[in-house]
Amino acid sequence: MKHKLSLLLLFVLGGIGTAVYGQIRITGKITEAGDPAGLLGATVVVKGTTTGTAAELDGTYTLSVPDENAILVFSYIGLKDQEILVGAQRVINVELQSDATLMEEVIVVGYGNQKRSNISGAVSTITSEEITELPILRAEQALQGRTAGVQVAQNSGSPGSALTVRVRGISTINDSSPLFIVDGIPVGGIDYLNPNDIESINVLKDAASAAIYGARGANGVVLITTRGGKKEQQGQVSYDAYYGVQDPWKHMNLLNAREYAILSNEASIAAGRVPRPEFANPDLLGEGTDWQEALFETAPIMSHQLSMTGGSDRSLFTFSGGYFKQDGIVGGNKSGFERYTARINSSHQVKKWLRFGSNLAFTALKRNGLPENNEFTTPLVRALNIDPITSVRKYDGTYAYSVYADTDIANPLNAIEQTHDTWSSNRMVGSAFAEIELAKGLTFKSTYSLDVTYAKQDLFFPKFDLSIDPDFGDAPAVEQSIVNTVVKNDFTWRNWQWENVLNYDHTFGTRHKVGVTLGTTALENRFIFLSGSNTNLPSNNVADAYLGNTIDPRTSQGAGDAISEASLLSYFGRVNYDLDDRYLFSLTVRADGSSRFGANNRYGYFPSVSAGWVISREDFWKNQDISFLKLRGSWGQNGNDKIGDYSFTTIVYAGQSYTFGPGEVITNGNAPLEASNPDLKWETSVQTNLGLDVELWDGKINFTADYYIKETRDMLSRVPIPLVVGVRSPFQNVGTMENRGLELSLQYRDKAGEFKYSLGGNITFGSTEVISLGKGGEPIVAGNVFSAGNVSRTEVGHPVAAFYGYVTDGIFQNTEEIAAHAFQNEGTAPGDIRFLDLNGDGIINEDDRTFIGDPTPDLVYGFTADVQYKGFDFNVFVQGSQGNDIYNGIFRYDFFYTNRPQSALNRWRGAGTSNSEPRVNLNDPNFNARASDRFVEDGSYIRIKNMQLGYSLPQSLLGKLKIQKLRVYVATQNLLTITKYSGLDPEIGTVGGSLELGIDQGFYPQARMFLSGVNLTF
Amino acid sequence: MKRIKMITVSRIGIVALLVVALASCKKEFLERNPIVGSTLDNYYKTESDAISAINATYATLQFELTPGGHFRWFWGDIMSDDSEKGGSGDNDQPLLAALENFQGPTNTEYLESEWAADYEGIYRANVVLEKVPGIAMNEQLKQRILGEAYFIRAWFFYNLVTIFGGVPLADHVLAPSEYNMPRATEEEVWALVESDLRAAADRLPLRSGYAAADLGRITKGAAQALLVKTLLWKKNWAEAKTIAEVIINSGEYTLVPEYKDIFTTAGENNAESIFEIQYMTESGGNWGYNSNNEGTFTNVFQRARGQFEGYGFNIPTQNFVDEFFKEGFEDPRLASTVFREGDQMGDRGIFTKEAVGGDAHDFYPKKFFNNKSEEASFGDPNPNGGTNDRVIRYADVLLMHAEASYHVGSEGAARQSLNQVRDRVKIAEVTVSGPALLEAIYHERRVELGLEGHRFFDLVRTGQAAAALGGLGYIDNIHRVMPIPQSQIQATNGALVQNPGY
Repeated sequence: MKHKLSLLLLFVLGGIGTAVYGQIRITGKITEAGDPAGLLGATVVVKGTTTGTAAELDGTYTLSVPDENAILVFSYIGLKDQEILVGAQRVINVELQSDATLMEEVIVVGYGNQKRSNISGAVSTITSEEITELPILRAEQALQGRTAGVQVAQNSGSPGSALTVRVRGISTINDSSPLFIVDGIPVGGIDYLNPNDIESINVLKDAASAAIYGARGANGVVLITTRGGKKEQQGQVSYDAYYGVQDPWKHMNLLNAREYAILSNEASIAAGRVPRPEFANPDLLGEGTDWQEALFETAPIMSHQLSMTGGSDRSLFTFSGGYFKQDGIVGGNKSGFERYTARINSSHQVKKWLRFGSNLAFTALKRNGLPENNEFTTPLVRALNIDPITSVRKYDGTYAYSVYADTDIANPLNAIEQTHDTWSSNRMVGSAFAEIELAKGLTFKSTYSLDVTYAKQDLFFPKFDLSIDPDFGDAPAVEQSIVNTVVKNDFTWRNWQWENVLNYDHTFGTRHKVGVTLGTTALENRFIFLSGSNTNLPSNNVADAYLGNTIDPRTSQGAGDAISEASLLSYFGRVNYDLDDRYLFSLTVRADGSSRFGANNRYGYFPSVSAGWVISREDFWKNQDISFLKLRGSWGQNGNDKIGDYSFTTIVYAGQSYTFGPGEVITNGNAPLEASNPDLKWETSVQTNLGLDVELWDGKINFTADYYIKETRDMLSRVPIPLVVGVRSPFQNVGTMENRGLELSLQYRDKAGEFKYSLGGNITFGSTEVISLGKGGEPIVAGNVFSAGNVSRTEVGHPVAAFYGYVTDGIFQNTEEIAAHAFQNEGTAPGDIRFLDLNGDGIINEDDRTFIGDPTPDLVYGFTADVQYKGFDFNVFVQGSQGNDIYNGIFRYDFFYTNRPQSALNRWRGAGTSNSEPRVNLNDPNFNARASDRFVEDGSYIRIKNMQLGYSLPQSLLGKLKIQKLRVYVATQNLLTITKYSGLDPEIGTVGGSLELGIDQGFYPQARMFLSGVNLTF
Repeated sequence: MKRIKMITVSRIGIVALLVVALASCKKEFLERNPIVGSTLDNYYKTESDAISAINATYATLQFELTPGGHFRWFWGDIMSDDSEKGGSGDNDQPLLAALENFQGPTNTEYLESEWAADYEGIYRANVVLEKVPGIAMNEQLKQRILGEAYFIRAWFFYNLVTIFGGVPLADHVLAPSEYNMPRATEEEVWALVESDLRAAADRLPLRSGYAAADLGRITKGAAQALLVKTLLWKKNWAEAKTIAEVIINSGEYTLVPEYKDIFTTAGENNAESIFEIQYMTESGGNWGYNSNNEGTFTNVFQRARGQFEGYGFNIPTQNFVDEFFKEGFEDPRLASTVFREGDQMGDRGIFTKEAVGGDAHDFYPKKFFNNKSEEASFGDPNPNGGTNDRVIRYADVLLMHAEASYHVGSEGAARQSLNQVRDRVKIAEVTVSGPALLEAIYHERRVELGLEGHRFFDLVRTGQAAAALGGLGYIDNIHRVMPIPQSQIQATNGALVQNPGY
């Protein structure tokens, strides 16, 4: 065993040592241009050998070289490599230049790498520096506001919750999420990634770039590369950690007990009821309970990460291990999230012609969940709606219940305490590849990867009873549960992929650069689900919540399972041709066969072309200021295969059961529920992209602009078939949607002496329009708000999921005004809202509804500023959205006695008192709560997402300790938010899919965080 | 040189091997059919498939929210003079209130979900009628299953024709070319209902012919009873009387001694139960598309709010309560039909307006009341009510027999059946004749079958609707049927024509 271990160590570390031999002794000092201090740890290597050394504390080095023909390669991370022929020199001092030119960056594209200057599609890049700049909690967050054309919305501020990533907006009524590829492996989501492990993120935005992913590329492709070792890199050990606290950045202003009682009395009288006697003197009630104060808490967050990396000329490796923990500002650990990650990436030059490598990542995560964005169950909604009269606890210390608020409004703190919902998953993503050089420039690479997740969800619903007298059971139904239930859900995802790619790169003559890529992919996804439940457990302790612990096994057991498979078989090819690095052409085609498509449409073909012209490399280009200028254009077709696994066939479903016999035996029945569609196929998107890259003053300023038009055709929709058919309609390829957008990004970097700074920003303007929804074109309604009905409507000629409802027109001040207006309701009285009679038929009904808002922003943007001076660094990141609406569905206007925002105090109380806030009335006979523009608010916001101040200890101090870098920092997230939105947080995502956006039904707000951290490298 | 060549050859060999391996991926690699469950093409082969198919057809009888709500008591009771919508106020299901007041919105989910559920049931019955005959299986069982399917198809068409009038006559599984099927006439639908019920009655066993485990399945008596109802609509009094007498003389059914016992849990599938939709608690059901749910929402919808943990719908009217006092005394059935203030609401406490809170009403319906102790012990209790829907009781058959007998001039037979119902609750026998006898039969139907979903249809069927409901806005030639759901007119590109007046 020990022997094996040392062998393994030898294998991993074998190539890293350095050897010193030869005759000529060279000395010198390595510095960064403009900075006389030496660069500790900069490397110098004799080109083509393993001979090399690293600079000392003061930047000096000593190296022996075999002869004067030796070429020395000087390198340091973040600076440009420099090669110098030894010749007669014996002292070689070098100044390494900053690697400032973005255009010379090599970026990852589908199945290959390309220099940014030679790319003719639209690709956005986020580098590891940008990612590590801010402590981010999830990998997707790195994309937010950082790059034009990529919109990231936090679905919830709850720790560990998913983020919605949209590349160039929502382009289908179905699943618009992009394809995530991590180190060549298609992964369903990237929540398993430790953000610290990411080397770069490249987003393929236009059709031509994404076309190599064919039937999966329509919503854009996010390519993530994880860190590996670098050649000739000295072994490095890093430790990064931070700790912070989070608290809510906002409380809503709600009625206090006195105000609540006053309004309640008025509302009772208006409804012809007797006010509650205990509210007779509201002043006696005072402030009452501040439920938000009781609900929110300050919660900790922390992260630790240890990584080791190194490389020789034959072997590269990196190892990292991380731990992350975050509690929630609602419920603390009840919404807590914990993640362990480990990763080993390595590659080896086994033979001159054979390279072998593997990436292995393991993630264990655990997330406790509370209900979110659900007006019935979210603790937040309950805290905002429960009356301020009720106290949190009774005198005996147990939780109190409200006798005023209605059915669903349970004590939120008790509800949190009774929630036991833990999701734990273990995920292993691994791949191994072999790359064979068949001839110069011709390589063949075969990669096999496996992505396996085992997850389980433990749910327990304990017994509880908030009754004062449990024998009497005086508490409302929602405040007592007479049986306990345990549910265990078990999920397995197992995906494999085998990919074979042939690559040929050759420069014919000096001018014709040709790159050819040919490949095949086979992949299979398998999902297995198993679930069991039981009730009547003798113990009410969550620790005893197991299926077997029941006293009543017969009637109460539940079990279920599901399994599904999908497979994909693809062939693809690409030809790149660069003439003089000035004229760039690329041609791609992919054929995808998918098991999800119907038998009549098993294969889809996706072609694309793109071209670029680097004007600045033309001989006629004399402009010195504009150091780089490129025009780009592309056209291509992609597909979206996220159409469900078996949508093409008619399944005879079990579970259509009925009860027979004196013992009420549930007896199974089987029936088809939908018609079938063997013609079913992918959704096709056709996209045209025009782009411009400009670089001024040798990279001080970079500017990129892209304009695109994207049309998604054959969108899957269940075109409503007449109900007389008796089954649901099958999915059909019918709809069309169009997206247009303009993406601008600008970066400025410069330095003055030791003062270095950079400014960056990006803006995305986008619009979406539904062109067709198939035969009949019935609008799709969604977004149910209980007190108002469906508020989202996706209709031809309008944006996706626009808000739909009545238009308010002030308040009726007197009965004459009511009489003069169209008929609204029999009980309509002065003080009620006047709704516009849009069709002028003299009656206000459903036909008077119209579009009252759009949840999709007109533009989203992000700005960063970085400043470095001596050891100090300062970074600020601002991000926002403009022109999006939010439907505020937080308050339960369908109930009488729930709490209201302070604005309710401005209610109408007589002619002329208000023209916006209606009278209070327990019955709301005018149905003032109906879906109307009254609840549509401007959701624009601008937010200081991150701000950070760091200090790196000087080399003079660290050198003695053999430390390369020691940086400490303080940071804050969500420090300041400017918005008109009255709810708890304007940054809300979606929980119900693409067709119900921007509806706030109790989103878990993002926390404001204060963090301090350390980065240590030696 | 040779060595290098060898290496190149071996490298190419490896690549060739990989390419061949990939190319040998069979076509089947992309053919993935569902693993759990079957597809339409490979099902309906065995006897157990046939049983599953008919069970799934039964499941549609329980549909209540698909996705909107529709209940027999929406149409039968709330639309009539017996009860009002109720709920937590005007804004609680306002469109239901509009329907109740005959304001006729044509696009409500109630109409749509009734339509949808009826046709889903018809579809499943059609699948059985088309697929089961070809299955090699026990012939007796096959005939029974076909009989059950005929009945269920007839039941849904009966609902459609009484609620909407003439509807598309989907008497087979529709091909895509038939999706825009136009409406048939009312007569054509009634003819199908009638022939299906006769086909069902021919094939189905008597109640006593079923094994105990099959309790809840459709019987010959149920098919005959619904046929009697159909014949009353058709005013075919003579045959209605004859078939009612077949049921009466079958000896399969007797009246339960105590009226109040009919609606208890113990009273489910009792001696006078002829057609009863089965519901149970503990099915684990939840809100939403409730095809997997064995429970009913009726319990929670009809319980009072507040302490009684209901939604307070289907509120009995004063007019309805007054009917129980029409004979100069309080009809004993009132106490089993309506809760009044001070009444004990099972184990949930005494009905006071304070205990109801907010929007308390004077009366609450009782026939679907369930005790807290009878609540589902797991799952959401709301959609998990366990009270069976007593659709056709023997008392109904006796009263239909009385009505049919009256119309063919057999007043003695009419009085005999009527008084059998009255004797059970120990009130004086009716001795009148002529129109007064018919009035007595109508009165008896209202109090005996109150809040069981019959009243509106009885009013329409007997031509009394305009008199009873005119004050609410009812106009005979319009409101005898509901509007066709507007969405369906659109979905068929106008192949469906709206009912006149809507």
